[in-house]
Amino acid sequence: MNEDARLHEAARRLGMAAADKVDVDRMAAAVVERLRSEAANASRPAWFRPAWLRMAAAVLVLAGGGLVLRQMMGPTTGHEAHFVTDDLTDLSADQLQDVLNTLDETLDLGSTMLPEADLDDLDAQQLQAVLRSLEG
Amino acid sequence: MAQPQSLAAAPAPAPASDPALIAAWLEGDEQAAAELVRRHTRALARFLAGAGSPEADLEDLVQEAFIRAFRAVDRFRGQCQFRTWLLTIGGNVLKDHGRRAVRHKVVPLDDSVTARDGDPHERAVAGEAEARLAVGVGELPRLQREVFLLRAQQGLEYEEIAAALDTTEGAARVHYHHAVKRLKEMLQ
Repeated sequence: MNEDARLHEAARRLGMAAADKVDVDRMAAAVVERLRSEAANASRPAWFRPAWLRMAAAVLVLAGGGLVLRQMMGPTTGHEAHFVTDDLTDLSADQLQDVLNTLDETLDLGSTMLPEADLDDLDAQQLQAVLRSLEG
Repeated sequence: MAQPQSLAAAPAPAPASDPALIAAWLEGDEQAAAELVRRHTRALARFLAGAGSPEADLEDLVQEAFIRAFRAVDRFRGQCQFRTWLLTIGGNVLKDHGRRAVRHKVVPLDDSVTARDGDPHERAVAGEAEARLAVGVGELPRLQREVFLLRAQQGLEYEEIAAALDTTEGAARVHYHHAVKRLKEMLQ
């Protein structure tokens, strides 16, 4: 047998022994079963598919975990809404004027929003009122 | 006792063609799908085993190839035979499975020897050649490997191979030529 013939003979037999061990009928049944289950899965509503159910379960676990964690952390510290103006009540008129100037520069609003000439004429209570109005 | 004439003369029903079975499956006939699987499982398994599939994974890969084929069968335009198209899908499945991991798989010598009749020495020599060929085929570039197997193992024509692999007949011939040359070098 020459080299070409030997090569082709070996190629013809290649994989034959392993393939002979595959149970054809069992394979057919398995493939049909998978096709059937894929078809059933595709006909379900989207929310009922395994992927969506897994995602929903994950969200529930996260939400539940968050609730449990919150319970374990104890009652809230009673930290209520905080306004900057609460911290400003102790400031003098000059200090409040500096704060407003700083705010003015930061926001770069210039004379259109906070004309310095007008602010100079305000007293401490009026300046606090301006700051409260800026907080909204 | 003689059979009634009508029964004795009744011709066996001709087996349905692959395109007819595909059409039946698309209409929802599960038995048509099962028949296609029974008809092509061995060829697909041989192709995958020859291309380097680990024997332990062979059934899973065969099943996966069939599933992918049935999912896409409505896009099969008959440019080649269903079996050839299925084999190329098998090649993709094997690639996805991890070609590198299976590239150096050697067909166990025992399988080759015990499955053959004839002179024990000749069987051993043939088994050894087959095992070395399996290693060599696994080391070929993918396109060369698939063309070689489709031609030498499955006995397909170049025209059919070219249609399945979406290449030209000339290119398929060149791939086959290079594959044979490299395999001969490896086997020497």
